[in-house]
Amino acid sequence: MGLFDAIDIAGSGLSAERVRMDVTAENLANAQSTRTAAGGPYRRQEVELQAVPPGDFGSALEGAMGPSETVPGAAATTSTSGAEAPSGGVEVTGIVNDPSPDQLVYEPSNPEANAKGYVQMPNVNTVTEMTDLISESRSYEADVTAMQTSKSMFNSTLELLKP
Amino acid sequence: MSSLDGTQAILEAAMRGAWQRQTVLTENVSNAETPGYHREELNFESALRAAEGNSEALENTSFEPEVQSQVSGPNGNGVSVDQESALLAENGLDYEALTQMLGAHNETLRAAMGL
Repeated sequence: MGLFDAIDIAGSGLSAERVRMDVTAENLANAQSTRTAAGGPYRRQEVELQAVPPGDFGSALEGAMGPSETVPGAAATTSTSGAEAPSGGVEVTGIVNDPSPDQLVYEPSNPEANAKGYVQMPNVNTVTEMTDLISESRSYEADVTAMQTSKSMFNSTLELLKP
Repeated sequence: MSSLDGTQAILEAAMRGAWQRQTVLTENVSNAETPGYHREELNFESALRAAEGNSEALENTSFEPEVQSQVSGPNGNGVSVDQESALLAENGLDYEALTQMLGAHNETLRAAMGL
């Protein structure tokens, strides 16, 4: 158990919530995008979260080894950052496409409209995104509070050293 | 190094417990949105009670967090952020009280030694 574990864990929560907020913002920005490089309308993105078990030496070593196909130069940088055992917390394992179907909107004047006048719009629901945004910012605040409590605990320990 | 007396030993062990509990509670808050995560709780008081009165045992006490199986969200998550925040605040104050007690105790020792 490290001295700053609680602060590191709260930090992992802060960065995970920030990624979720970024993705929600992207979904909102592309709520009307009918064209993408991959073809078809924009697809809603979702963040996958996973709890990080408090690390032991074995898993830290595995993390430091990294994927086997990396070039020797790049492997050196990953091994230094991954050598420390994780203290726990949360991590983003991936950003995935939402498989729900696209919305069909009747808009004959749109250049993207098909023969019947329907346009394929992204599967983004603005209301869902806004409520997600609220929950993300509240979670972010909770992490900040946890971090502040840990900091004041640390400060009160330091007070003991004063004569 | 063995502690000077029993008060010091139990205060130190309790501070260690509260510190570890802080880590466990923070982990719950960070995973408040992780699907399938079960909250953990550290009941360090019971471990302290078992070792009470024995300075040697108190110093070597280790605390193990327990996984709670309760589920409060639709995605199988068992964390309620407001409950965790309350527990965090409580634990922080607990720790504050312990450090103040240890400070007061040290002050008494200092007075006895005429420092």
